[in-house]
Amino acid sequence: MTTETTTHPALPRAGEKQVLEREATRPGLVFRPDVDIVEQKDAFLVSAELPGVDERNVEVRLENGLLSIDAAPGEAQDAAWTPLYAEYRTGGYHREFALSDAIDVTAIEARLTDGVLHLRLPKRHEARPRQIAVRTG
Amino acid sequence: MAQYWLSNPWFDPGPDLGDLQRRMDQLFQRVSGSTAARGGVFPPVNLYETSDGYVLTAEVPGLKSDEIEVTVEHDRLTLAGERRVEHPQEASLHRAERRAGSFRRTLQLPGEVDADKVEASYRNGLLRVRIPKAAEHQPRRINVGAS
Repeated sequence: MTTETTTHPALPRAGEKQVLEREATRPGLVFRPDVDIVEQKDAFLVSAELPGVDERNVEVRLENGLLSIDAAPGEAQDAAWTPLYAEYRTGGYHREFALSDAIDVTAIEARLTDGVLHLRLPKRHEARPRQIAVRTG
Repeated sequence: MAQYWLSNPWFDPGPDLGDLQRRMDQLFQRVSGSTAARGGVFPPVNLYETSDGYVLTAEVPGLKSDEIEVTVEHDRLTLAGERRVEHPQEASLHRAERRAGSFRRTLQLPGEVDADKVEASYRNGLLRVRIPKAAEHQPRRINVGAS
């Protein structure tokens, strides 16, 4: 296995994707995708922006309570094209989150639509809010 | 990796390319109504030159193909639309990094183009617009006649 450091000397400019500086097993840039996390009564919803990524190249893993999203870079531009101007760079994506015990890890669903990865992390039954009836007497 | 070093300020492209980058920066202007991601421009675009035209790519994750408006008038290309981030009701937001809002950007293309033959495609949150150069600017093969 090759290990390559993907450090980048330039600081991100406003509006640029954030480059992750870490040891990677693949060469190339890796970005930290923007995410939203929403909690519903019975599940957590995570949405992550992965523009340019094909669904075959997204990997969602759960290991030791850590949920990780990895995406390989989308298809490269035609080598015959001459770059004139660049506002964004291309590369892979990586992000990880620690999950609480409240999630039913066997029932996680993932879907990629228009460059956004949607994850649904259902809560375990014991962790869902319950209404306790109050009796008089 | 060409698009990488073009945007890397640590790379010194030399006077010619640096001047081109500056001129392009002036040409690409932000027009009112655009909503930016983290204060920058949205959508971010890359521009390439091909043998017969230009290719513009833009990262627009979350938009559907029919929500992106691409118009070309003479040598000006406009991208417009609205980015919506929708969450279900009765939910609490733990993290909100994705940006929403309407945008409109007009870009001046470097040369004369054939506005009638512009083609746009959209896949995986990436917009790609192919813009052929005007016929008189296309490379032509000249037959050499024998005398």
